[in-house]
Amino acid sequence: MKTAKQLGTANQWILLLCLSLVLFPWQPVFAQAPIKIGASLSLTGSYAALGQNQHRGYQLCTKHANEKGGVLGRKVEFVLYDDQSLPATGVRLYERLITQDKVDAIMGPYSSAITEAVANVNERYKMPMVAPMASTTAIFRKGRKFIFMVQSAAEVYLEGLIDMAAKRGLKSVAIINEDTLFPKATVQGTIDLAKKKGLQVVFVEGYPKGNTDFSAILTKVRAASPDVFGAATYFDDAVAITRQMKELNVNPKMYGVTVGGDLPKFYELLGKNAEFVYGATQWEPELPYPGAKEFTESYKKEFSGADLSYHSAGGYAGCQILVEAIKRARSLDGEKIRAEIAKLDTTTVYGGFKVDEGGFQISHKMVMFQWQNGKKVIVWPDELAGGKARFPTPQWSQR
Amino acid sequence: MVGQVVISGLLAGALYSLVALGLALIFGVMRVINIAHGTILMLGAYTTFWWFHLLGVNPYLSLLASMPLMFLLGLLLQRTLVTRVVDAPELSSLLLTFGISIALVNIAQLAFTSDLRSVEFLTGAFLVGPIALSKSRLISFAFAVTITLLAFWFIQKTKLGKAIRATSQNSEVAMICGINVPRIRLYAFGIASALAGAGGSLVAVMFAIQPEMGQVYTFKSFLVIVLGGAGNYPGALLGGMLLGLVEQLSSLFLTTQLSEAVAYVLLVLVLLVRPSGLLGGRER
Repeated sequence: MKTAKQLGTANQWILLLCLSLVLFPWQPVFAQAPIKIGASLSLTGSYAALGQNQHRGYQLCTKHANEKGGVLGRKVEFVLYDDQSLPATGVRLYERLITQDKVDAIMGPYSSAITEAVANVNERYKMPMVAPMASTTAIFRKGRKFIFMVQSAAEVYLEGLIDMAAKRGLKSVAIINEDTLFPKATVQGTIDLAKKKGLQVVFVEGYPKGNTDFSAILTKVRAASPDVFGAATYFDDAVAITRQMKELNVNPKMYGVTVGGDLPKFYELLGKNAEFVYGATQWEPELPYPGAKEFTESYKKEFSGADLSYHSAGGYAGCQILVEAIKRARSLDGEKIRAEIAKLDTTTVYGGFKVDEGGFQISHKMVMFQWQNGKKVIVWPDELAGGKARFPTPQWSQR
Repeated sequence: MVGQVVISGLLAGALYSLVALGLALIFGVMRVINIAHGTILMLGAYTTFWWFHLLGVNPYLSLLASMPLMFLLGLLLQRTLVTRVVDAPELSSLLLTFGISIALVNIAQLAFTSDLRSVEFLTGAFLVGPIALSKSRLISFAFAVTITLLAFWFIQKTKLGKAIRATSQNSEVAMICGINVPRIRLYAFGIASALAGAGGSLVAVMFAIQPEMGQVYTFKSFLVIVLGGAGNYPGALLGGMLLGLVEQLSSLFLTTQLSEAVAYVLLVLVLLVRPSGLLGGRER
């Protein structure tokens, strides 16, 4: 039995609690269990650098959502696993998230290849999945109803490189790619764009994922002596190719990579050898999208010293889209959330968001930058450009 | 173009020989296939990275750190773990070294994170006519050849080396002849790990490194020693060079995607035609 004194103490505590609620109403108090959002990301393995950036985007998104009072009056939290950059592991983890962890909603993994594998899982359980880092068109052309694209398609990643090359009167282009879903789509798109702009495609070849030695393929590129050299990469390979181009003295007039070239780490690892390299990016902090500046500032505060790239912003924006859709649906029902995402037409920190009936992104725009004195200068398209491209890229021996 | 690719192949092959010689040594002496061999290479690579990153001293000098460190790690692994499975069925040693490998990779991920690291020391190339010779690869090649030849001389000529070979040929007879077989196994594992560590140091100067980089070298070394004849030390040298050349030439004449497949097709062919490897099986 409780004594009167103890009860009194308990009452005092309740009083204090009520007072604190009155005095500090901006501190959200969550009565119900949190809304669990499940995701797996490539925290280790060959996509680790990029997956970790996306992870920080998710983390910041939940932090901001909770600071603003949560969603439907409930706290939001992530149940997050590491898929080790392996599609099969991703599939297993999403099965587990949905059936065992019983998460309320899910967010996409990193990379097209893993998203493509996982998309069948969430489709089966009718769980809408905003997939911030999947850019392969094919994923959204298979009649799926529950997957949504956030960024520009793989096919247009090198549009800027080709467009700039055509404007400068360059004639030939060589392309190499990691032999997986997304880079292959980029190559196909680039070949089409090059033909449209009147450039001749002189060499195309893939290399296996995880490849580290590019001597033979780069020797072939050198023999084809293209004006423009594009590599549809992720991060590790973009670093290795750039470095080995110098070792093999491959000297195109323009050289651009798709993914990975935009990470600050790219320059940290390569130093001056990264100068003049063009990179495609979905997003840069200085782009004038609403909330982008605030996002960048709070990201830098939250994760001081950590990499900030479009993967972070995309993860953040994708998660915000889900949160917004749940709010509008006023429910955690998969079908209702799906309908709200499909209707959204908005601009996030990441740029435009609007999808067609297949979940394919039709509003977001790509940009192209060039590394100049250790900084990424946006050089394409003209209306967003912050500087001029340094053209042509000098020979390695003359740098 | 062919000249360039042949050179690339030889430059890569010397490294494969160096690393595979270590694997061959362990297999020869103990009949153990060390899955953790590439993992030890990875630790050697990190030794070089931290050496260069923290001390700022010439990364090639880090061989003086990575080789002894990995030698000691090899002794430790052999002393505490591997020695328990040497005479057990081969599956036990596979499982054990596989486990060691997973543990070490995860420790490395925790300790060093899985961020990509690189040693930007000598980039670029010497241009000789139409051929570009990568500076870092050329120097690594020289080191790989030197270390491999030294190790080879050691195995052939020194007393300890002869004891190692005797143990490879027949451990029971070796024991009867007064060779301290457990001790030889200990040294063999240590030397093999030092060779992997040296390989790691040289890889670190050529390629970016991360905790999971070792696996591919385990596979390649395995391929090399089967090609050359398991437990046959000169075979490992030949096999390494051959693998380097085959990889590069097949990605020149076929495609890069196929080059790895070609190497394994070659393995199957060798096993069909000469099951004991190009230079025959274990040392006689």
